[in-house]
Amino acid sequence: MLTLLRDLRRLRKSIALGRPDRGRSLAVRPVDAGSCNGCEHELILASSPYTDLQRFGIGVVASPRHADLLLVTGPVTTRMREPLLTAYAAMPEPRLVVALGDCALGCNVLGRDEDLVGPVESLLPVDARIPGCPPNPDAIAAALLELLDSRPS
Amino acid sequence: MSRYREDVQALLDDGWSFAGLYALDSPSRVRTVFANGAAIRVETVEVDDGVVPSIVDLVPAANWDEREAHDLRGVAFDGHEPLRPLVDHDLDLASWTVEVRGDDAYQVAVGPIHAGVIESGHFRFHVVGEKILHLDARLFYKHRGLERAAEGASLDGGARFVGRACAACAVTNGVAYAQAVEQARGLRSVPDLARARTILLELERVWSHLNDVSAVCAGTGLAAGATRFAGLTQRARRLNERLTGHRFLFGTIEVGGSALTLDGEAVAAARDELAGLGREAASGWRELLFNRSFQDRLPGVGIVRARDARRLGASGPAARASGVEQDARADSPELAYDDFAPVVPTRALGDVQARLEQRHLELVQSLELLPRLLDRPLAPCAAENGLPESDIGAARVESPRGATLCVVEREGDRLGRVHLRTGSYANWPVVAFAAAGNMLPDFPLINKSFELCYACADR
Repeated sequence: MLTLLRDLRRLRKSIALGRPDRGRSLAVRPVDAGSCNGCEHELILASSPYTDLQRFGIGVVASPRHADLLLVTGPVTTRMREPLLTAYAAMPEPRLVVALGDCALGCNVLGRDEDLVGPVESLLPVDARIPGCPPNPDAIAAALLELLDSRPS
Repeated sequence: MSRYREDVQALLDDGWSFAGLYALDSPSRVRTVFANGAAIRVETVEVDDGVVPSIVDLVPAANWDEREAHDLRGVAFDGHEPLRPLVDHDLDLASWTVEVRGDDAYQVAVGPIHAGVIESGHFRFHVVGEKILHLDARLFYKHRGLERAAEGASLDGGARFVGRACAACAVTNGVAYAQAVEQARGLRSVPDLARARTILLELERVWSHLNDVSAVCAGTGLAAGATRFAGLTQRARRLNERLTGHRFLFGTIEVGGSALTLDGEAVAAARDELAGLGREAASGWRELLFNRSFQDRLPGVGIVRARDARRLGASGPAARASGVEQDARADSPELAYDDFAPVVPTRALGDVQARLEQRHLELVQSLELLPRLLDRPLAPCAAENGLPESDIGAARVESPRGATLCVVEREGDRLGRVHLRTGSYANWPVVAFAAAGNMLPDFPLINKSFELCYACADR
């Protein structure tokens, strides 16, 4: 365990990420509305030592009831429509919605019309769009920070 | 009456194993696919008045396939009782769950939206206290109708639909599709094409297995281990991007050839980076082995014995961790897996510990394989003509999660039907089986020890 922690400390030192100067935070609830799993895999790595999204006070929360922001991936399938709307309805206000990845933005979507309802903005008011197939962890972090900084404190 | 069931039984008796089943619309038919080593065989049965005989009693692994064929193509399977809905979500709870009765039995519903960063899917646990009696898994929340959407596409263009099925299996699914189309077109692989695809398949396995070790650490709450291996996963994806321009290797697999160019400098740099990754992963793995509180969580949890793994059609690391020595890489003459032998752990007990150790063994194996494949530059190449063409092409490729089958039926130069049955699809019913008898709080760990994709099962 000590070696693991020592190795992680070395890794963090070698990556040398800056210290954030923001005194704010953002609680994020991801919803996979039919992605290919690429956006999820990249979002997971936004918490790896190379991006370390948590240092900005941005973290994933388990429930939409604890979330400031709904991060939606995928073209929104018919079967995920209700769960997505239910999650949004459960959020306290003010609430933000971000469409993550090209599918959620309605770009180059593949699939059958009968099985899809998307894009996200056809169902919910979208506050920010993060393009990419999939967007990499640094792009995800940069977009969330830009949104955070654009909001009045 | 057709001799479908007798034929299926005869194939099983001859050592063939079930590889998939799908339905066609017009004429209404059901095709059942079997594999034996590198050989693939497709059996066809005509749908008579909307019904075909079920084979689920002969092949329990065909359970999901028959239910999917019913929900998506309207075929009824005589003898499959009850034929519970799988992809169809419009029905009430009692229709798709197993009824569990008795004192103190209750249900715990989890998902489709999960607490972590996990794909969407619904699990309904039937429990007494904290003990899981039975798990009904309801997936297909991410069903995008990709197979139907691909119908009518050009044979080359169909690769886009198959590629979109799943990011974590993009290369595997792409190679399975490309090989199926090439077989239908009578194309033959050449050594450089085999090498290019094998490099990409193994790069996919490396990042995927690193991610899986991280996920099991996360499943036990060992944040330091999860973070360490997430860092290695990131390095592996960066290597993918340097080599191919894409972190998930999207767009690298095409039908009939390979455009991948790796010069001497690129392959040398890749070998160096893989060696560095191997050293770091070995050091991290050693730490996990000596972490008592972590190791205490793993043995005896989520057990799948070899007999059950075979019966339920488990595949890939999950099957090998139960002692089933099957790996489609050993039967892939179109790829560069010369003299490949599957590895199994010495302690192949089919529990979480064995599945985790299996990932480590395969990671080491892939990291030995890759430098040999990257020992010289790689240039673009094309498959050769010369084999007879056919209406159906089929290929099986080993993904990081198990054998993936792709069948392509052509109508001239267009796709009549494409069917993708991935390693994840094969293993999902095994996850539900493994969960029974365990504590509910151990389920995330059991699930992560399989680390299946929802996306390529749902399509």
